[in-house]
Amino acid sequence: MSAGSPEPAASAPLPSSTQRRPNPRVAQLKRTFYFLRRNTLAMIGLGILVFLIGVAVGSVFYNAPGDQLQTYCGSDTGNGVGLVGSSNASGCDHVVCTYPYNTPAPSANCFPVDPNQVSVLPPTDFSHGLSLGPFPFGSLTTTADTNEFYNLFAGMVKGAPWSLGISAVVVVSGSMIGLFLGASAGYLGGYTDESIMRATDIFLSIPGLLLLIVILSTAGSIFPTFWGHLEILIVAFIATDWPIYTRIVRSQVLVTREQKFVEASRASGARTSRILRKHIIPNSVYPMFVQMSLDIGTIPLGLATLVFLGFSIFPHVAFPEWGSITAQSVGILASTLQYCQEFSGCLFPWWQFFIPGTALFVFAISVSFFSDGLRDALDPRLRR
Amino acid sequence: MRMWVYVIRRLLLMIPVIIGVMTITFVLVTALGPTQRIETFIGPSKQGYSPMINCIPGDTSPHPAQCPNPAYVRAVHALGLDKPVEYQWGVYIYNSLTLNWGNTSKASDASQLYGITTSTAVITVLSWYLPYTLELAAISLVIILALAIPIGNYSAVYRNRPFDQAARVVSFSGYAFPGFLLALLLLLAATQLSGGFVAICHGGSDAFNEWFGSWPSQNCLPGGNYPNWMGSQNHFHTSPTGFPTVDAILNGNSYLAWESFKRMILPALTIAFGAIAGILRFVRNSMLEVMNLDFIRTARAKGVPERTVVRRHAGRNSLNVTVTILGLTFAGFIGGFPVTEQVFGLTGIGNLLVQSVHVPIDYGLVFGTTLLFTIIVVIANIIVDVLYAFLDPRVRLG
Repeated sequence: MSAGSPEPAASAPLPSSTQRRPNPRVAQLKRTFYFLRRNTLAMIGLGILVFLIGVAVGSVFYNAPGDQLQTYCGSDTGNGVGLVGSSNASGCDHVVCTYPYNTPAPSANCFPVDPNQVSVLPPTDFSHGLSLGPFPFGSLTTTADTNEFYNLFAGMVKGAPWSLGISAVVVVSGSMIGLFLGASAGYLGGYTDESIMRATDIFLSIPGLLLLIVILSTAGSIFPTFWGHLEILIVAFIATDWPIYTRIVRSQVLVTREQKFVEASRASGARTSRILRKHIIPNSVYPMFVQMSLDIGTIPLGLATLVFLGFSIFPHVAFPEWGSITAQSVGILASTLQYCQEFSGCLFPWWQFFIPGTALFVFAISVSFFSDGLRDALDPRLRR
Repeated sequence: MRMWVYVIRRLLLMIPVIIGVMTITFVLVTALGPTQRIETFIGPSKQGYSPMINCIPGDTSPHPAQCPNPAYVRAVHALGLDKPVEYQWGVYIYNSLTLNWGNTSKASDASQLYGITTSTAVITVLSWYLPYTLELAAISLVIILALAIPIGNYSAVYRNRPFDQAARVVSFSGYAFPGFLLALLLLLAATQLSGGFVAICHGGSDAFNEWFGSWPSQNCLPGGNYPNWMGSQNHFHTSPTGFPTVDAILNGNSYLAWESFKRMILPALTIAFGAIAGILRFVRNSMLEVMNLDFIRTARAKGVPERTVVRRHAGRNSLNVTVTILGLTFAGFIGGFPVTEQVFGLTGIGNLLVQSVHVPIDYGLVFGTTLLFTIIVVIANIIVDVLYAFLDPRVRLG
């Protein structure tokens, strides 16, 4: 941090009687952003985050081929590449075939495939409609056999709103629960505090991934498949997420409630709900924001891990979500390599996990840079 | 307060947390159907658990007389399924506290992979595989501490300089990288580059593990799947502790000791890489705070060399915070085990959990593993607290 430029608070002219004083909360935001701007890593993180949110919003306007679940079946055309399923299996919407991309198409329903790139459409070829999904946003399908045809570019674009959306829903709901419980525990004290914090301790001592696994596997006894039950997943994530927010908010509230302005408000007869709403909560949320921005990047990672362990939300369909795509790519890697062994001379299919893995990684690392900078900017002890 | 009073108080405070965790698993257990619960917590029965069975066994007449199934009646009574929920809760807590954690199911992937042919008490199965995980945890903990403390300290000293930025980028990468992908890439690299450095022995049921398992077969330890994996093939006859490396040393087989240690290097690195970011940032911050305190300025003013200031004055004082953080991040650290053990095909309780959630789910093992991992976290927290009280007298005296 260069020593030359003074802080804006110091350089701003003193408010005259005609000029309105800026809202203190706006001033606080400005000051935070001022410190944030001097942290290069945090600004890079923020830039990437804004770009990814842009992709998520823009993906609504991206026309991925098809908008409903379609099943493709086909047979190996004998040139080393092809669909593994049988062409007269039941439940096929389309019967297709494949051909090497550098030869003329044998018929209209055949798809070009690079023989070196086993069972994946060439990443540059976005025009072919093997990639269909079950949602308005969906764009990605694998079929029940090992026909892992999917379009990585479409998957990345269409996956952005799912990844970012699920993370945002989980983090916002978790932090709201944490804010409510933490503020109540910290401000009311006594038995409320004790009971809430003991529950928090209990939840915090269960490793997050294990709590997710045990909740989802129990839900598996009620719902035979998770087909479409995205809400179970979100509830499971919220159940693992709320305690940390409760603890953070409570510790901050314990500091805030001793401040003079809270005492003044209480002395002038404000009710508890008003003090909490107007004074305690607005002054205690900043550490929570740091934790939120840190958590938001890890949720797609957690989802990827769950899918890797076998909790697919949409069985046989690659759910267009970065974590799921990564996990499924890794899952088919072994069969791809085995295929390579049989038909010698195929490329190592690095792009299958590199592209979705990079999306996950870039998202998570940019939010952690951002949150690290945010914490530095919000904590006066670390600003120097 | 004396040290032992503090320790006892801390141990007593552990009990409500454990009971609370058991309550959470109980809530999930009630979501299972009655048959499922009985099979998990009572174990299989010859007659099966249908409520009514034929009065005469083997009665093949078109309308055989039906009687209540004695096995079912006994099981319902034992679990309190005919009683209100709070009674069932009491039974569950009593069973859990007395280490009656249910039984494994014969049909599950976990049983087949780990070679458990009969329905066995979950706690017995866990006791077979826990030492492996503990040894892996110890190695990764050593790696974490050996890297996080010096790097964190020097990051704080060279704040915002290239060293600091590089250390933060690398450690954040561990935070942001999917663990299974990292494990896979390490495994690929190791098997490709050094031709069998990591020996993977038919560790997973997935095609994935079978593929990797076939590669370095000449170095593969035989019988990697059952508790005495250093069994007769290696002329081993005792497994006194269950810790693979320790057992090999006790048996005087240095080849196996080295071999079993080697198998743990990459998994331990994977786990450490995932957990290091959280600890590193706290070490760095606590060091930053300590470096701004008055006694550091005094030390510098009286002419103590900067090296000594960083190592002795600041480094030792920031260690207290590091110990606390170690306790807080332990739950996250434990979360890396299932995936890592599964990818590397290690036979610890993490892989046991992963295999037990494959359909048909082995609920006894799922709940048992979760409870055990949680108890490990709670105990680790107590150790950390005691260590902290030992390092900082203000905690136990204040």
